[in-house]
Amino acid sequence: MDRSIDVRRGADGVLGSMDELLRRPQAGFERAAAGVPVGGWAVRVGAGSLACCVLYGGAAGFFAGGLQIGLAAIKAPLVIAWSALICVPSLYVFGLLAGAPFTRARFVVTIVGFVGMLALVLIGLLPIEWLFSVSTRSLTFAIWLHLLLWAVALGFGVRFLRAAIPEMPASGALLWLVLFCAVSFQVATLMRPLLWRAPGAPVVERGKLFFVEHFRTSVE
Amino acid sequence: MIAAAVLRDRGALAARILDGGGLGRIIRDLALLIVVCAAAYGAVLGMWHGARLAAYDAVKLPLVLLVTATVTVGFSWIIAVASSVRLRFDQVAALTFLGLGTASVLLVSLAPVAWFFTICAPAPSAATRAAHNGLYLMHTGFVAACGLAGTRTLWNAMRRLGPPRTMRSVYVLWVLSYALAGGQVAWALRPFVGSVSPQHPVVFLRDNALRGNVYEFIGTDIVPYFWSERRR
Repeated sequence: MDRSIDVRRGADGVLGSMDELLRRPQAGFERAAAGVPVGGWAVRVGAGSLACCVLYGGAAGFFAGGLQIGLAAIKAPLVIAWSALICVPSLYVFGLLAGAPFTRARFVVTIVGFVGMLALVLIGLLPIEWLFSVSTRSLTFAIWLHLLLWAVALGFGVRFLRAAIPEMPASGALLWLVLFCAVSFQVATLMRPLLWRAPGAPVVERGKLFFVEHFRTSVE
Repeated sequence: MIAAAVLRDRGALAARILDGGGLGRIIRDLALLIVVCAAAYGAVLGMWHGARLAAYDAVKLPLVLLVTATVTVGFSWIIAVASSVRLRFDQVAALTFLGLGTASVLLVSLAPVAWFFTICAPAPSAATRAAHNGLYLMHTGFVAACGLAGTRTLWNAMRRLGPPRTMRSVYVLWVLSYALAGGQVAWALRPFVGSVSPQHPVVFLRDNALRGNVYEFIGTDIVPYFWSERRR
């Protein structure tokens, strides 16, 4: 069976685009190189990523239950989208300095595909996450679990980046990923509490705090 | 557009510099790029202490880069000539500016990240030393990493000019002179992040700007501090 796709014809629907990203991550780049508009593909993958992150966040909210399920479902996609937005300029410049001949379409496919890949891995981990969220009583354990799952997702994210920007050396991709990871921790700290909220506590805590300090106090 | 050339076609830009034509314009454009990018990052660097230090740093960070280039270019040219590398003085200046221009563009791409961490930091006070140290470490890391990446551009341009061993020595000496002078220029133009101590208010230049140097400070204050902490 010929599994090659017609690059001029995009995958159908949100599910089709997410499936294509998973099975043939290069398809978006082939389309961009062929001069086919990638706006529709980006919107579909963006919508799919949003849905995956909402579900992942909702499952994380099961740790506290109640209203926190909905709050975590809103906050999780915001954490990823905000982190990506802040790190977009550095990825663009890192890529160009590494020699990647970015066009607007190729860069859109790179950043949207990266976020889509993270979302896909997170949705794959959702059943495990949900199982631990509903059964775990220790906040420290829940935090470490989410860090582990995030690390797995980032591992696949960097693999996608390496394929998307082959001109960039592994150390460059890793450096950018560390930056993205640190920013995502700080965005999560800004939107705290994510996992557990004391009764009557505000939806978003006030006060400025670095993520290292927040992590230290949370696991204590 | 010089920014596009630095980002997308540094090889061609380096070739133009090594050809030796139109260097005045290249140096002027690269200097402008350094000023704009470093001013943008400088504004973020100083914003933790408010608009005044942000404005000061928007002037001081470009100054650090331009003064470092100015005080090292003579040495760089002498080393090149002494190593039988056929480079004119203006070519060495243009190569120095090419490295710093690349570093500046990289630095400005990290400005959103630095800005985000700065707005998340608690306001400066005696109780927020950890936040000060965190920001200090982040900015130092960013500037150092971008500087190193900038010197890679320099290396890519230089390595074709002579035998690898000779060129490596010249490159290492150039980079060491940038680091040595750059550290001291930044020290003299302090504060950048700003102090949490009320003894050190926000100023453009400290009264003791040219008293002592950064390496003395490391040797007499930082190292003995860590040594005494370890023995405690």
